[in-house]
Amino acid sequence: MVDLLPFAQWLRATPASDWINSSRWLWPLCESLHFIGLSLLIGITGFFDLRLIGFFRRVSIAAARDLMPFALMGFGLNVATGVVFLLGLPEQYVNNPVWWYKVGFLATAGLNALIYETRLSARVLALAPGDDPPAAVRMIGFVSLVSWFAVLYCGRMLAFIGDAF
Amino acid sequence: MTDLFAAIEGTTLAAWVRESPSIWAYATILTLHTVGLAIVVGVNAVVDLRLLGWAPRIAVASLPALFPIMWVGFAINFASGMLLFIADATTKSGQRVFYVKLVCITLALLVARTIAKHLRQPDEGHLRALAMLSLFLWAGAIVAGRLMAYL
Repeated sequence: MVDLLPFAQWLRATPASDWINSSRWLWPLCESLHFIGLSLLIGITGFFDLRLIGFFRRVSIAAARDLMPFALMGFGLNVATGVVFLLGLPEQYVNNPVWWYKVGFLATAGLNALIYETRLSARVLALAPGDDPPAAVRMIGFVSLVSWFAVLYCGRMLAFIGDAF
Repeated sequence: MTDLFAAIEGTTLAAWVRESPSIWAYATILTLHTVGLAIVVGVNAVVDLRLLGWAPRIAVASLPALFPIMWVGFAINFASGMLLFIADATTKSGQRVFYVKLVCITLALLVARTIAKHLRQPDEGHLRALAMLSLFLWAGAIVAGRLMAYL
Protein backbone atom coordinates (compact mmCIF):
# COMPACT_ATOMS: atom_id res chain seq x y z
CA MET A 1 0.00 0.00 0.00
CA VAL A 2 1.09 3.57 -0.71
CA ASP A 3 2.46 5.30 2.37
CA LEU A 4 0.34 8.39 2.84
CA LEU A 5 2.13 9.61 5.93
CA PRO A 6 4.44 12.06 4.09
CA PHE A 7 1.40 13.52 2.36
CA ALA A 8 -0.43 13.79 5.69
CA GLN A 9 2.59 15.51 7.25
CA TRP A 10 2.75 17.91 4.33
CA LEU A 11 -0.96 18.68 4.77
CA ARG A 12 -0.47 19.26 8.49
CA ALA A 13 2.25 21.80 7.72
CA THR A 14 0.00 23.93 5.49
CA PRO A 15 -1.27 27.31 6.78
CA ALA A 16 -4.86 26.02 6.43
CA SER A 17 -4.11 23.21 8.87
CA ASP A 18 -2.44 25.61 11.29
CA TRP A 19 -5.41 27.92 11.13
CA ILE A 20 -7.84 25.07 11.88
CA ASN A 21 -5.77 24.00 14.88
CA SER A 22 -5.33 27.53 16.19
CA SER A 23 -9.05 28.18 16.44
CA ARG A 24 -10.57 27.07 19.70
CA TRP A 25 -14.18 26.90 18.49
CA LEU A 26 -13.87 25.83 14.87
CA TRP A 27 -13.50 22.13 15.72
CA PRO A 28 -16.54 21.85 18.03
CA LEU A 29 -18.55 23.99 15.60
CA CYS A 30 -17.68 21.67 12.73
CA GLU A 31 -18.45 18.62 14.89
CA SER A 32 -21.88 20.02 15.70
CA LEU A 33 -22.55 20.69 12.02
CA HIS A 34 -21.24 17.21 11.15
CA PHE A 35 -23.82 15.68 13.54
CA ILE A 36 -26.63 17.85 12.17
CA GLY A 37 -25.61 16.91 8.62
CA LEU A 38 -25.52 13.20 9.40
CA SER A 39 -28.98 13.37 10.96
CA LEU A 40 -30.41 14.95 7.81
CA LEU A 41 -28.58 12.51 5.57
CA ILE A 42 -29.47 9.35 7.50
CA GLY A 43 -33.02 10.42 8.32
CA ILE A 44 -34.00 11.30 4.78
CA THR A 45 -32.12 8.57 2.90
CA GLY A 46 -33.21 6.09 5.60
CA PHE A 47 -36.86 6.99 5.00
CA PHE A 48 -36.39 6.50 1.25
CA ASP A 49 -34.47 3.22 1.78
CA LEU A 50 -37.22 1.84 4.01
CA ARG A 51 -39.74 2.76 1.31
CA LEU A 52 -37.66 0.91 -1.30
CA ILE A 53 -37.53 -2.11 1.01
CA GLY A 54 -41.33 -2.04 1.27
CA PHE A 55 -42.32 0.04 4.31
CA PHE A 56 -44.65 3.11 4.18
CA ARG A 57 -46.51 1.88 1.11
CA ARG A 58 -49.02 4.71 1.33
CA VAL A 59 -46.23 7.00 0.14
CA SER A 60 -45.23 6.49 -3.50
CA ILE A 61 -41.51 5.89 -4.11
CA ALA A 62 -41.41 9.06 -6.21
CA ALA A 63 -42.83 11.10 -3.32
CA ALA A 64 -40.50 9.48 -0.76
CA ARG A 65 -37.59 10.77 -2.83
CA ASP A 66 -38.80 14.39 -2.80
CA LEU A 67 -36.85 15.30 0.35
CA MET A 68 -33.58 14.05 -1.13
CA PRO A 69 -32.22 17.60 -1.76
CA PHE A 70 -32.07 17.98 2.05
CA ALA A 71 -30.12 14.73 2.33
CA LEU A 72 -27.69 16.09 -0.25
CA MET A 73 -27.47 19.28 1.79
CA GLY A 74 -26.59 17.20 4.84
CA PHE A 75 -24.01 15.31 2.79
CA GLY A 76 -22.49 18.56 1.51
CA LEU A 77 -22.30 19.88 5.07
CA ASN A 78 -20.52 16.70 6.14
CA VAL A 79 -18.05 16.73 3.26
CA ALA A 80 -17.17 20.36 4.04
CA THR A 81 -16.77 19.79 7.79
CA GLY A 82 -15.06 16.44 7.13
CA VAL A 83 -12.43 18.24 5.04
CA VAL A 84 -11.81 20.56 8.00
CA PHE A 85 -11.15 17.53 10.25
CA LEU A 86 -8.93 15.89 7.67
CA LEU A 87 -6.91 19.07 7.10
CA GLY A 88 -6.66 19.70 10.84
CA LEU A 89 -5.37 16.27 11.87
CA PRO A 90 -4.47 14.36 8.69
CA GLU A 91 -2.11 11.84 10.32
CA GLN A 92 -4.85 10.61 12.63
CA TYR A 93 -7.11 9.71 9.74
CA VAL A 94 -4.92 8.39 6.92
CA ASN A 95 -3.16 6.06 9.36
CA ASN A 96 -6.35 4.65 10.79
CA PRO A 97 -7.80 1.56 9.05
CA VAL A 98 -11.25 2.40 10.45
CA TRP A 99 -11.20 5.70 8.58
CA TRP A 100 -10.50 3.76 5.37
CA TYR A 101 -13.44 1.45 6.14
CA LYS A 102 -15.51 4.59 6.44
CA VAL A 103 -14.31 5.78 3.04
CA GLY A 104 -15.09 2.29 1.65
CA PHE A 105 -18.66 2.37 2.99
CA LEU A 106 -19.09 5.90 1.63
CA ALA A 107 -18.02 4.64 -1.80
CA THR A 108 -20.42 1.68 -1.47
CA ALA A 109 -23.33 3.98 -0.59
CA GLY A 110 -22.44 6.29 -3.48
CA LEU A 111 -22.10 3.51 -6.04
CA ASN A 112 -25.32 1.93 -4.81
CA ALA A 113 -27.20 5.23 -5.26
CA LEU A 114 -25.64 5.64 -8.70
CA ILE A 115 -26.82 2.16 -9.77
CA TYR A 116 -30.31 3.02 -8.54
CA GLU A 117 -30.46 6.37 -10.32
CA THR A 118 -29.04 5.17 -13.61
CA ARG A 119 -30.42 1.63 -13.90
CA LEU A 120 -33.53 1.24 -11.77
CA SER A 121 -35.19 4.56 -11.03
CA ALA A 122 -37.20 4.77 -14.28
CA ARG A 123 -38.69 1.30 -13.78
CA VAL A 124 -39.56 2.05 -10.16
CA LEU A 125 -41.33 5.32 -10.93
CA ALA A 126 -43.65 3.42 -13.30
CA LEU A 127 -44.93 1.26 -10.41
CA ALA A 128 -48.39 1.88 -8.99
CA PRO A 129 -48.46 2.88 -5.25
CA GLY A 130 -49.43 -0.57 -3.91
CA ASP A 131 -47.07 -2.59 -6.14
CA ASP A 132 -44.22 -4.61 -4.65
CA PRO A 133 -40.85 -3.15 -5.64
CA PRO A 134 -38.65 -5.61 -7.56
CA ALA A 135 -36.06 -7.55 -5.53
CA ALA A 136 -33.17 -5.52 -6.98
CA VAL A 137 -34.77 -2.33 -5.69
CA ARG A 138 -35.29 -3.75 -2.21
CA MET A 139 -31.63 -4.75 -2.25
CA ILE A 140 -30.62 -1.17 -3.14
CA GLY A 141 -32.60 0.10 -0.15
CA PHE A 142 -31.03 -2.47 2.15
CA VAL A 143 -27.46 -1.83 0.97
CA SER A 144 -27.97 1.93 1.33
CA LEU A 145 -29.35 1.65 4.86
CA VAL A 146 -26.54 -0.67 6.00
CA SER A 147 -23.76 1.32 4.36
CA TRP A 148 -24.84 4.71 5.75
CA PHE A 149 -25.05 3.31 9.27
CA ALA A 150 -21.66 1.65 8.70
CA VAL A 151 -20.25 5.05 7.68
CA LEU A 152 -21.60 6.50 10.93
CA TYR A 153 -20.30 3.53 12.97
CA CYS A 154 -16.78 3.77 11.53
CA GLY A 155 -16.75 7.55 11.90
CA ARG A 156 -17.62 7.38 15.57
CA MET A 157 -15.48 4.33 16.33
CA LEU A 158 -12.32 5.55 14.62
CA ALA A 159 -11.40 7.34 17.81
CA PHE A 160 -11.33 4.00 19.64
CA ILE A 161 -10.11 1.39 17.14
CA GLY A 162 -6.78 1.34 15.40
CA ASP A 163 -5.13 3.47 18.13
CA ALA A 164 -4.34 6.42 15.90
CA PHE A 165 -5.72 8.75 18.59
CA MET B 1 -26.66 15.70 45.56
CA THR B 2 -22.92 15.54 44.92
CA ASP B 3 -22.70 12.49 47.20
CA LEU B 4 -25.44 10.82 45.22
CA PHE B 5 -23.67 11.43 41.90
CA ALA B 6 -20.37 10.22 43.39
CA ALA B 7 -22.13 7.05 44.60
CA ILE B 8 -23.62 6.47 41.15
CA GLU B 9 -20.23 6.96 39.59
CA GLY B 10 -18.77 4.44 42.03
CA THR B 11 -21.06 1.57 41.03
CA THR B 12 -19.62 -1.45 39.23
CA LEU B 13 -21.70 -0.70 36.13
CA ALA B 14 -20.46 2.90 35.96
CA ALA B 15 -16.87 1.77 36.41
CA TRP B 16 -17.30 -0.83 33.66
CA VAL B 17 -18.61 1.76 31.20
CA ARG B 18 -15.78 4.15 32.09
CA GLU B 19 -12.82 1.87 32.51
CA SER B 20 -13.34 -1.41 30.67
CA PRO B 21 -10.87 -1.80 27.81
CA SER B 22 -13.58 -3.77 25.99
CA ILE B 23 -14.78 -2.30 22.72
CA TRP B 24 -18.33 -3.06 23.97
CA ALA B 25 -18.06 -0.62 26.86
CA TYR B 26 -17.58 3.13 26.42
CA ALA B 27 -16.84 3.10 22.67
CA THR B 28 -19.89 1.08 21.64
CA ILE B 29 -22.23 2.89 24.02
CA LEU B 30 -21.07 6.25 22.68
CA THR B 31 -21.48 5.03 19.11
CA LEU B 32 -25.00 3.74 19.87
CA HIS B 33 -25.78 7.20 21.23
CA THR B 34 -24.85 8.62 17.80
CA VAL B 35 -26.89 5.93 15.99
CA GLY B 36 -29.94 6.80 18.11
CA LEU B 37 -29.36 10.51 17.54
CA ALA B 38 -29.34 10.01 13.78
CA ILE B 39 -32.62 8.07 14.02
CA VAL B 40 -34.42 10.48 16.37
CA VAL B 41 -33.29 13.69 14.72
CA GLY B 42 -33.46 12.21 11.22
CA VAL B 43 -37.07 11.04 11.59
CA ASN B 44 -38.03 14.37 13.11
CA ALA B 45 -36.37 16.18 10.21
CA VAL B 46 -38.47 14.19 7.72
CA VAL B 47 -41.69 15.02 9.59
CA ASP B 48 -40.75 18.67 10.20
CA LEU B 49 -39.64 19.38 6.62
CA ARG B 50 -42.88 17.88 5.31
CA LEU B 51 -44.92 19.99 7.72
CA LEU B 52 -43.02 23.09 6.61
CA GLY B 53 -44.38 22.48 3.12
CA TRP B 54 -41.59 20.55 1.39
CA ALA B 55 -42.32 17.32 -0.52
CA PRO B 56 -46.10 17.94 -0.72
CA ARG B 57 -46.59 14.59 -2.51
CA ILE B 58 -45.96 12.85 0.83
CA ALA B 59 -49.42 12.76 2.44
CA VAL B 60 -49.38 14.30 5.93
CA ALA B 61 -51.65 11.41 6.96
CA SER B 62 -48.78 8.97 6.31
CA LEU B 63 -46.43 10.73 8.78
CA PRO B 64 -47.71 9.07 11.99
CA ALA B 65 -46.23 5.78 10.68
CA LEU B 66 -42.78 7.32 11.23
CA PHE B 67 -43.18 7.99 14.95
CA PRO B 68 -42.56 4.42 16.16
CA ILE B 69 -39.11 4.57 14.51
CA MET B 70 -38.41 7.81 16.33
CA TRP B 71 -39.32 6.19 19.65
CA VAL B 72 -36.96 3.28 18.94
CA GLY B 73 -34.17 5.81 18.37
CA PHE B 74 -35.14 7.60 21.55
CA ALA B 75 -35.09 4.36 23.56
CA ILE B 76 -31.55 3.65 22.29
CA ASN B 77 -30.47 7.13 23.33
CA PHE B 78 -32.19 7.09 26.68
CA ALA B 79 -30.46 3.82 27.60
CA SER B 80 -27.04 4.75 26.17
CA GLY B 81 -27.35 8.27 27.61
CA MET B 82 -28.01 6.93 31.10
CA LEU B 83 -24.93 4.70 30.89
CA LEU B 84 -22.77 7.57 29.63
CA PHE B 85 -24.10 9.77 32.42
CA ILE B 86 -23.47 7.35 35.31
CA ALA B 87 -19.93 6.71 34.05
CA ASP B 88 -19.13 10.37 34.59
CA ALA B 89 -21.94 11.58 36.85
CA THR B 90 -20.09 14.12 39.01
CA THR B 91 -18.58 15.95 36.03
CA LYS B 92 -21.66 15.85 33.82
CA SER B 93 -24.06 16.87 36.58
CA GLY B 94 -21.90 19.94 37.12
CA GLN B 95 -21.96 21.03 33.48
CA ARG B 96 -24.45 23.78 32.70
CA VAL B 97 -24.49 22.82 29.02
CA PHE B 98 -25.70 19.33 30.03
CA TYR B 99 -28.87 20.88 31.45
CA VAL B 100 -29.28 22.97 28.29
CA LYS B 101 -29.18 19.69 26.36
CA LEU B 102 -31.75 18.05 28.66
CA VAL B 103 -34.11 21.03 28.39
CA CYS B 104 -33.80 21.02 24.57
CA ILE B 105 -34.58 17.29 24.44
CA THR B 106 -37.52 17.51 26.86
CA LEU B 107 -39.07 20.38 24.93
CA ALA B 108 -38.38 18.70 21.57
CA LEU B 109 -40.11 15.52 22.78
CA LEU B 110 -43.11 17.51 24.00
CA VAL B 111 -43.25 19.23 20.60
CA ALA B 112 -43.01 15.84 18.83
CA ARG B 113 -45.86 14.48 20.94
CA THR B 114 -47.96 17.55 20.22
CA ILE B 115 -47.23 17.19 16.50
CA ALA B 116 -48.24 13.51 16.63
CA LYS B 117 -51.51 14.48 18.33
CA HIS B 118 -52.24 17.31 15.87
CA LEU B 119 -51.59 15.12 12.82
CA ARG B 120 -54.94 13.49 13.44
CA GLN B 121 -56.74 16.82 12.92
CA PRO B 122 -54.23 18.80 10.85
CA ASP B 123 -54.13 22.54 11.43
CA GLU B 124 -51.46 23.65 8.97
CA GLY B 125 -50.43 26.96 10.52
CA HIS B 126 -50.03 25.52 14.00
CA LEU B 127 -48.10 22.51 12.69
CA ARG B 128 -45.67 24.70 10.75
CA ALA B 129 -44.73 26.61 13.88
CA LEU B 130 -44.26 23.37 15.82
CA ALA B 131 -42.14 21.89 13.01
CA MET B 132 -39.86 24.94 13.00
CA LEU B 133 -39.54 24.78 16.77
CA SER B 134 -38.74 21.07 16.59
CA LEU B 135 -35.87 21.60 14.12
CA PHE B 136 -34.35 24.31 16.31
CA LEU B 137 -34.68 22.30 19.52
CA TRP B 138 -33.04 19.17 18.03
CA ALA B 139 -30.23 21.24 16.55
CA GLY B 140 -29.82 22.86 19.98
CA ALA B 141 -29.67 19.44 21.66
CA ILE B 142 -26.96 18.32 19.22
CA VAL B 143 -24.84 21.44 19.70
CA ALA B 144 -25.21 21.33 23.50
CA GLY B 145 -24.34 17.62 23.52
CA ARG B 146 -21.23 18.19 21.44
CA LEU B 147 -20.15 21.14 23.62
CA MET B 148 -20.21 18.89 26.70
CA ALA B 149 -16.84 17.62 25.50
CA TYR B 150 -15.43 21.16 25.42
CA LEU B 151 -16.96 23.23 28.23
